[in-house]
Amino acid sequence: MKNEVIISIFMVFGLLAVGGTPALSAEKDAEKMEMKRLLPLKVGSHESDRKDQFYDRKTTFRYMDGAAELYRSYGFKLLLVRRYLKTGHPPIIVELFDMGSPEDSFGVFSFETEGEDLGAGQGSDYGGGLLRFWKGKFFANIYAEQETPSTKQDVLEIGRAIANSIKHEGQKPKLIHYLPKEDFVERSVRYFHHHQGLNYQYFVSHENILRLGERTHAVFALYSLSETKIKTFLLLIQYPTQKLAKEAFQSFVKIYMPESTSSRVIQTENGRWTSAQFYQEYIIVVFDAPSKEKAEKLMEATKKKFEGRQ
Amino acid sequence: MEKKRTITRRDFLRGTVYTAFTASFGSPLGKEAGAEEKVKVVLIRDENVIDQQGNIYQKIVRQMLDRAICELLGEEKPIQAWRRLIKLNDIVGIKSNFWFYLPTPLELEAAIQQRILDVGVPKKNIGIDDREVLNNPVFRSSTALINVRPLRTHFWSGIGGCIKNYIMFVSTPWLYHPDACSSLASIWNKPLVKGKTRLNILSLIRTQFWGRGPHYFDRRFVSDYRGLLIGKDPVALDAIGARLLQLQRIAYFGEDRPTDTTPKHIFVADEKYKLGVSDLRRIEVVKLGWTEGSLI
Repeated sequence: MKNEVIISIFMVFGLLAVGGTPALSAEKDAEKMEMKRLLPLKVGSHESDRKDQFYDRKTTFRYMDGAAELYRSYGFKLLLVRRYLKTGHPPIIVELFDMGSPEDSFGVFSFETEGEDLGAGQGSDYGGGLLRFWKGKFFANIYAEQETPSTKQDVLEIGRAIANSIKHEGQKPKLIHYLPKEDFVERSVRYFHHHQGLNYQYFVSHENILRLGERTHAVFALYSLSETKIKTFLLLIQYPTQKLAKEAFQSFVKIYMPESTSSRVIQTENGRWTSAQFYQEYIIVVFDAPSKEKAEKLMEATKKKFEGRQ
Repeated sequence: MEKKRTITRRDFLRGTVYTAFTASFGSPLGKEAGAEEKVKVVLIRDENVIDQQGNIYQKIVRQMLDRAICELLGEEKPIQAWRRLIKLNDIVGIKSNFWFYLPTPLELEAAIQQRILDVGVPKKNIGIDDREVLNNPVFRSSTALINVRPLRTHFWSGIGGCIKNYIMFVSTPWLYHPDACSSLASIWNKPLVKGKTRLNILSLIRTQFWGRGPHYFDRRFVSDYRGLLIGKDPVALDAIGARLLQLQRIAYFGEDRPTDTTPKHIFVADEKYKLGVSDLRRIEVVKLGWTEGSLI
């Protein structure tokens, strides 16, 4: 009897260790410790105020209101917020996000790349007093509470120190490799999963007519076509299956380009051209090409990239 | 039954989107709307409310609020106006907005609180909160609410205005984000909120008319508009607010740069939830004070 009780106790603890709350909690604590280690306590004359705050997918809304939805639309796991203080200077805030994967870290970063790349991490963007960078599965925002003449230098110093302490780099989403290089504006590429992500970059419809979601991967990029410099956009979406891609394609064509023939190329109301095709589990859409020929050329170039991988 | 129509980019390109769900949004202010009664809102501005160092001047905020509320309610003295809104035995929650980058100015919160104290409401029966309203005993037992927040663009809802400010009265805010937050006005029917709002104030002291990026904030696109917009109808305030942000974008960029999300929730608040009036032609904007660069 006594042995049975002991066995039962071990079984309960064993289960908890595998999948129960204490194990999860321990895992989270380990993640927190890992993230804390990535942020130096002191960078130059800036020192941590030692009041770190952590937020997860559920609680981050309390920290940043609806802006949290952007991170939640990716695989965001944990956010560490730390303030750095320096006498006579406004505090500098660091927000370090564990995005779960390098792809999603890059995705959040790619949402806004209109500023200057200051060479922090695997990609950075500075504008309006805010430095953003990604490296491996981590994404960081660094900014001063008030902008001063030294803000740029200060946030860069802290940003680089953090980037250097993140040892593992990561790969960008594979889908990016299928973007044709000619006329491609490299810093324009965006990676996302949900249709809100697409609409943020290029409004297509208030409804999810391309059936984007957690399990889809999408890249969106700008092409500045050689002669005209007219902005043309290329959207690639990867679906979990060919069947889902086909259904999404039919939905898009029916609503967005109902007048199209089998060629799936139409002229839209702004005089530009839109072309759409699906290929295996992918959908390819060219928006705003200056001519039918340009739309078809970019479409063909993209399909060749796909075929080249086989 | 009318079939739900899907709006696409092409509707915008051919200019038909307004007939789809934003018929009133592009209408010029003051255009006749027939015999329907108009909703009154008051816009007050003062050039000196922000000093040269960028600080907000407490005394002027108080003066602006007093003057605007007197105009709104047709009273001569602020205390008379506030007594029409708040009773002695009310428990008053001032629903503010603490968003780090552009919070409700403390000076404005203080001015509101002082006037409620002047009515005779004990301090213990007045609460100011944003993200903890569900756990705040004053808000949980409130009999009156004052809704105050800054006006800004917002990634998920088009604008952050009066209607959206009540999203913290629900425990799962993210469930209200689909479809451009179109169902936000439904929160106003929750028992904790319904029928309690006595006054809405959009702080236009600083407005954010455009923004990019995860935090949707960029100092380059913040305007020192130096105004307050007050009224009893949150939908009317938001409709005017959305129009103002649009005009500020036009003034800044030289073109009508659309936001990534249409503030559809304002029209839905009117059409579906009957929370107020979104048709600009049915809103009377009484303008007081500084007029330079007012745009509306």
